[in-house]
Amino acid sequence: MKPRVRFVYAPQLAAWRLGEDHPFKPERLDALKDLLERTGLLPDELVRAPDALPAGSLEAVHDPGYVEVVRAASHGKRLEEAYRHGLGTSDTPLSPGLHDAVTSVCAATWTAMNVVLSGEATRAAAFSGGLHHAMRDRASGFCVYNDLNVAIAHARSKGARVAYLDVDAHHGDGVQDAFYADADVLTVSLHESGRYLFPGTGYGSELGREAGRGWSVNVPLEPFTDDASFLEAFDLVVPAALEAFAPDVIVLQAGADAHALDPLADLQLSLQGMRAVYERVVGLADALCEGRLVVTGGGGYAAFHVPPRAWAHAWSAMTGAPLPERLPEAWRQRWRDVAGHDLPEFALDAPQDTLPESRRVAMTSHNRAVARRVLDVASPLWARRVGEEST
Amino acid sequence: MLVRDVMTTPAVAIDPDEPISDVTALLAQRGVRHFPVVENGRVVGIVSDRDVRTVGSDHPDARPGVRPSDPVRRIMHHPVWTAHPLDPIEDTAKFLRDHAIGAMPVVEDEDLIGIVSASDLLDALVRMTGVGQAASRFEVELANRPGALARLLTRLSELDANVVSVLTPYSDPDVVRFVLRVGTIDARHVADTLRASGFDVTWPPTQP
Ligand SMILES: [Zn+2]
Repeated sequence: MKPRVRFVYAPQLAAWRLGEDHPFKPERLDALKDLLERTGLLPDELVRAPDALPAGSLEAVHDPGYVEVVRAASHGKRLEEAYRHGLGTSDTPLSPGLHDAVTSVCAATWTAMNVVLSGEATRAAAFSGGLHHAMRDRASGFCVYNDLNVAIAHARSKGARVAYLDVDAHHGDGVQDAFYADADVLTVSLHESGRYLFPGTGYGSELGREAGRGWSVNVPLEPFTDDASFLEAFDLVVPAALEAFAPDVIVLQAGADAHALDPLADLQLSLQGMRAVYERVVGLADALCEGRLVVTGGGGYAAFHVPPRAWAHAWSAMTGAPLPERLPEAWRQRWRDVAGHDLPEFALDAPQDTLPESRRVAMTSHNRAVARRVLDVASPLWARRVGEEST
Repeated sequence: MLVRDVMTTPAVAIDPDEPISDVTALLAQRGVRHFPVVENGRVVGIVSDRDVRTVGSDHPDARPGVRPSDPVRRIMHHPVWTAHPLDPIEDTAKFLRDHAIGAMPVVEDEDLIGIVSASDLLDALVRMTGVGQAASRFEVELANRPGALARLLTRLSELDANVVSVLTPYSDPDVVRFVLRVGTIDARHVADTLRASGFDVTWPPTQP
C-alpha cells in the first residue's frame, strides 16, 4: 500500500525575511517545491494548506510575556525588552511582520503533526519549520518561536509519546530544554560538538533529568565528520534509543547544514549520507510506530545549493518516489537568478574527502568513542525506565 | 569569582555526638560527600563519606576500634580548615590541592553559611567557559600589547556581536590566544569580518 503523505505549504511560508542579506532564507522552500513539482514528486493532492494555529498553542511552550514582547516588538514597541529576549540582534533582527511570519511557521508544523495524529496521512512534511533554537522566553540562532515544541506539545496533549530526532549541524537545544524532564518525549541530537559550534551545548553528559533522565540523548561530533562516521554514530545510538523508547510518532528535524558546503558549520556530509539518514528514519518509523513521521527543515545556509536537494531526498524517502539523477534544466535556470550563482546539475553529490588521512582516522575514532559512551551511559537508564513502566 | 558565588548552601551540619551510623544514612540521602561538624554554633570538624564508610571495615584508612554506634567526634577531622565567602576561588582551589582535602566549610563571623568542594570549583570552571548561554566559539591570536584586545572587542561591538565569555588558556611572550564565546550563530560571518580587519582568527576555520 502506498503511504499517505502530505506536504504542508502556504506561499507566505516562503515569503518572509529576517533581514536584508540574512543567511536564513525562507525562499528556499519555494525552490524545493518547484523542484518537486518539476520532477513529478508533488502532485497537487499531496499539498496541504496549514490550519490556523489553535489559540494558546504558542503559550503552551513559550512564556506568555515573551509572546507579548515579540508581538509588540514586531510593531516597533517595547524594543529594549525585546533585546533582553534575544530580539533586535544581528541574528534575529526585528521586522514588522515577524510575529505573524513565525506564527505561520508554527501553524505549518502543528498542521503536519495534526495530519499524522488524526490519521489524515501517515507521514507529513513541513519544511518551513525546524526552528529548534528558540527557547521558552528567548529568541536564539535565527529562531523566534519553536514550531517543533508547538507540534510536540500538541502530540503530548493527545497522549502520544514523541521521539524527536535532530540531524541539524547544531545542537537541538530549544527542544531538549523544553522536554528535559519529560518521560514521554525522547530527544536525540547528532550535531557538531558544542566545543566548536553554536550553541555550545549538547554534550553526552546531558541526559535529561527527573522522570526524563535517559530520554535526552546527545552525540557531539567532530568538525569535518563525513558520511561514514556520521552514519556509524547514527547506527550505534539512534535505533537503540528509539526502540527502547517505543514512540507513537517520530519527528525528524532535517536541518541541511550538516552538508560540507554549508557556510555556518563544519561537518562534511554529502547528499548521499543525508539521503541515507532520511531512509533510515523512514524505516524506523515503519518499524516502531506504524510509519507515523513528521519531517521539518531547519538550518541550511547554502540556501539554494543544498536544502532544496536535501529535502527533495527526504520527500522522496517519505513517498517512495525516486528523484531523477539529473535536475531539470528549467529549475536550475529559474533559481540561478534568485540564488545569484550556478546551481548543481545532479541530485546527489560525491562524498568529500578533503581531510588528511590521519585527521580522518582521529575524527572517526573520536566520534565512535563518543557514540559508544553515550550508549553505555544511557542504555541502563532506558532499561530501568522501560522496566518501571511494565511493572 | 569568590567562594560565595560557587559554594553549596546551606550546608547540612551534624552534631559531634551523633552516631556514625546516622551520618552514613544522611550522606546517602543528601547525595553529598562532606559534612561540617558543628558544636555550640561553631564549626569544630569535618567528616567525609570515606571517613564514614571505612568505619568497622578492614580498610587501611579505618580507625582501629571505632564502631558505627560511636559518636562522629571520634572520626571527624579537626582542627578544620575553613573558607571565607569572600575568598577568591583560585586560592581555595590551591588550598584544597595543597592540603589534599575535598571540601572546606564556609564560615563568616563564626557562622557556618555553606560548604565549598572540589566539585563546586569544577562547576565554576565549566561556567567560566561560558557554556549555558547559546554562543559560538572563536579563537583569536593577538599581539601581547596594550590595546590589542580592546581593538578586537571594538570590532565585535561594531558587528552587534555580544561577547558572552573570554578566556586566555595559554600565552607566550609575544602572542596571547583568546577564546571568546559570542552570542551569534553566524560565526563565519563574524570571523570573515575580523579577518578582513587583520585579526588572526584560528577558529572557526576559513571555508574550504
Ligand atoms: Zn543548524
